[in-house]
Amino acid sequence: MANVGVLTGTPAKVARPHARQRAPMRWVVLGLLLLLLAFTLFPFFLALINAVKPGPDYLRGGPLSIPTSIQFDSIIKFWGQADYSRKLLNSVIISASVSVLAVIISLFNAYALGIGRVRGSTIILAILLLGTMVPQESIVYPIYWMAKSVGLYDTQLAVIIVLAVLQSAFGTYLLSSVMSTFPREILEAAEIDGASRWQVLTLVVVPIMQPTLMVLGTFFFIWTWNEFLIPVIMLISNNNQTVSVAMGLTRGQNMSDPTLQAAAGLLGIAPTVIFFLIFQRTLTRGIVAGAVK
Amino acid sequence: MAGSAVRSRRGYYLYLIPGFVGLMLIVIGPQIANFVLSFTAWKGVGTPRWVGSQNYERLLTDDQFWGSMHNTLLYIISMTIIPVLLGLILASLLFDYVRDQFGERLSSFFRAGLYLPQILPLTVAGVLWGWILSPVGVANAILKSIGLGTFAQNWIGDATYALPAVSLVIVWIQVGYCLVVFMAGLSRIDPALYEAAQLDGAGWWQRLVSITVPMLAPEIFVVVLTTLIHALKVFAPIFVLTQGGPNDATLAPSYLTYYHFFTTQRVGYAAAIATVQMILTLGLALMFLWFQTRQAERGA
Amino acid sequence: MTTTLPRLALAAVSALTLMSSAALAQGTTFNIWWFEGAESAQGLTWTKALEELKANHPDVTVNFEQKTFDQMQQSGSMILNSAEAPDILEYNKGNATAGLVASQGLLTNLDEAFTAEGWDKILNEGQLVLSRYDELGVYGSGSIWGISTYGEYVSAYYNIDAFEKAGVKVPTTLEELTAAFDVFKAQGVTPLALGGASTSGQHLLASLAYTKADDNWVNNYQGLKAPLDGAPYLYAAQTLTDWLAKGYITKDSTGMNDDDAALQFTSGQSPVYVSGTWNLGNFSANIKDFKWGQFVIPTPKFSVGSTGNLWVIPKGSKSPELAREFISLLLSTKYQTEQANNGGVSFGADAAQVTNPVGANASAVFKQIADKQGLGFYPDWPVPGFYDVLNQKDTGLLQGTLTPEQFVDEIKTVYDDAQASQ
Repeated sequence: MANVGVLTGTPAKVARPHARQRAPMRWVVLGLLLLLLAFTLFPFFLALINAVKPGPDYLRGGPLSIPTSIQFDSIIKFWGQADYSRKLLNSVIISASVSVLAVIISLFNAYALGIGRVRGSTIILAILLLGTMVPQESIVYPIYWMAKSVGLYDTQLAVIIVLAVLQSAFGTYLLSSVMSTFPREILEAAEIDGASRWQVLTLVVVPIMQPTLMVLGTFFFIWTWNEFLIPVIMLISNNNQTVSVAMGLTRGQNMSDPTLQAAAGLLGIAPTVIFFLIFQRTLTRGIVAGAVK
Repeated sequence: MAGSAVRSRRGYYLYLIPGFVGLMLIVIGPQIANFVLSFTAWKGVGTPRWVGSQNYERLLTDDQFWGSMHNTLLYIISMTIIPVLLGLILASLLFDYVRDQFGERLSSFFRAGLYLPQILPLTVAGVLWGWILSPVGVANAILKSIGLGTFAQNWIGDATYALPAVSLVIVWIQVGYCLVVFMAGLSRIDPALYEAAQLDGAGWWQRLVSITVPMLAPEIFVVVLTTLIHALKVFAPIFVLTQGGPNDATLAPSYLTYYHFFTTQRVGYAAAIATVQMILTLGLALMFLWFQTRQAERGA
Repeated sequence: MTTTLPRLALAAVSALTLMSSAALAQGTTFNIWWFEGAESAQGLTWTKALEELKANHPDVTVNFEQKTFDQMQQSGSMILNSAEAPDILEYNKGNATAGLVASQGLLTNLDEAFTAEGWDKILNEGQLVLSRYDELGVYGSGSIWGISTYGEYVSAYYNIDAFEKAGVKVPTTLEELTAAFDVFKAQGVTPLALGGASTSGQHLLASLAYTKADDNWVNNYQGLKAPLDGAPYLYAAQTLTDWLAKGYITKDSTGMNDDDAALQFTSGQSPVYVSGTWNLGNFSANIKDFKWGQFVIPTPKFSVGSTGNLWVIPKGSKSPELAREFISLLLSTKYQTEQANNGGVSFGADAAQVTNPVGANASAVFKQIADKQGLGFYPDWPVPGFYDVLNQKDTGLLQGTLTPEQFVDEIKTVYDDAQASQ
């Protein structure tokens, strides 16, 4: 049975009167969760204190020592050395484009597989899933060769296309699983009203699936941001490179600069954390919000 | 009605075109090229030399390869099994307990916090965990300071602890992904189900087993399959933490592939390993999808 | 949502087209890349030399790009095999990198430039070993394909204050070295910091092997000329296990990389650390609590070390003359002196002008080793990928899972396999 309230993606927010009980137990649970959270976030804390720690402090006391003074030299140094503003712009362009493109590809695929239920869906899905299975190393040489022969080597477009296709494999799988439970009544009603396939997709399916699509887009954005191998191979010029490639600057052939690494780490994660905090509300709405039981 | 449904199905194929063209160019074509390369000796530039099945013969007797396959089984535990179980428990705890007891905000806060490791670029995660797990690192310093110095270990340098230590980092990364997908799924479950169960006197654990798990079946499938695939090609945590050491104790097939592609420049041999990896993954995924379809049909 | 998606896509596409049109530049350009850190002795010196080149050619637009080691390691040969290569770049020395691209015809031959530019007056044949590659890409003979402008070597860094306090003098033999270790050990100090899982582990091992190595062994070993004669490595492995048993090295070193080990030294916990000259910049800038120095591991002749990375001119370079001019600048006494003053290892510095004691000392030690033809190179060179093999087996040895005999057997298997199939 279709439950329209769930379809709109509104999270269940019904208060349960019997719930507030067993007071000591709640604090135990809360304490355990807080401990787990502290453990989870501890590495982030390390990145923070070492990014602002003066170099000699680190050489004397290592990563856990409390900085004797706070300095932003490492952060400023990395910002300048890496031409970080430019890298930030590049990463945003690439991640946003991949995210949009991959969501569109996934949506089209899933529409045919999940709602269209075309013949051989399982086989087609398995083939499409290949995109998530390939070890990236194994496609690097052929892709390099292809990009070079069509003049896309060292262009962001090449990276966008490659990553969008690879990531849409996951999106297709996820969206088609969800769309296969899409209420047939709604689709049939739209069809009776004379809606074309394109109209059903854009006017019925997309609005209902919007929360899921946003979540998927958020995932794609973050994944693309952290991609390393494909960008490092395909983008040669510094002007084209991404933040995650620039982070390699802190590691030399035989040595590295720990406080610079921490600073790079901090600058590397800050944009995605901010992005995540903005979009995390959409995650509540639910990745499978369109599904009906 | 039935007639129109059959007629309209064909039109849906049009929507597969963009995805398929991309897939042919980016995945299938290169995979075929990779397969052909696996029968050659090649250094990455110049002309590949045909060597027949030599690379595969070598593979059969390569202890490193077999060791890495063995480790893969263990990585499935830390990439898939533990994160899925932990994710389920946490999701249900946050959704079905914390939210009621402490409110929506706190539950969202925990979810966001536990998801953060997913966002961290692995190169950065490697540096930070390297600091923590080094024998002169933070973990041992903390153990010593709270009087548990005897538990201090050479975490990533001792073969006994290296694999569990790397696994811990992987779990740390993976839990957030499982948690977020599960919690999203939970929001579509009818709250009435939980209320009814509560009225019947079902405890939190009973609700988890009898409502949450069955209702989350689609999400569990998605998460298990994707994490399994990732387990079979796990690379970055090993690359940044141990480089497969000590003495190959944490080696995984993808690391071996990478090593031969870019370090020893035995591109043909690397392509052979990648091909085997690909076939294994594909087989596993197909089995899994077949199972999922059967389950879905049975449930429908 | 129906409207936001296309709008976003449009914005992304238009942003892309803007970027690519902005990238088109006009006029004569000179593109140069290197990956040495901006604050290393090389990075500082090269930046200054590039300024001079710019000043000499005001009509040329100079584009410098700071690359990363990872990037050149992973895609160096792909870049050189494309139209996107720069006019000159720093590239890794050795068979697997410079040798490979030279043998594929991707580099400009520098034989003529070597004499025409007068580089032959600065560099001796010993400093050219890694510049020459034959048709198979094996170093040591054949044409000149790249030029190095600095040196590097592995030595023992020691804490002068700790040595003085313990009444230990700088060792000149291996026996004196172990005697010094004993003194520190007796005080409850682990004397030797070691990154068993990275470079410093295998460099210590090779340094010990070189105490038993003659010309013949080093030539065979580095040239892949015969199956491995394991005797020097066996000695090294036995010594290392012995040092471990006596507590000169901690068993924990298997879990330490060079950063951890260096930290043991810089924080004053271990008075000795065996590693390369690439640490000089970091140590001079950041060690404030004690005086430190370096001594060469006592060997009959060979030390771990070599000339540095190469400047190579890609085949498609549009400004080979400027590239040559830049190499000449770097080899000039002015910039060699500058480099030593930045704490680097120079070939042709004017000793009277070098005011930085660190650079002066390092350059002098390097000259001493090079003059007796004692550069033994790095242990991982003969076989591509041997670096990882040595690290893995080194940790096995330090962990006690491999005996010295097994250690030698395992590296010999890999070495002989490569030797037989070259």
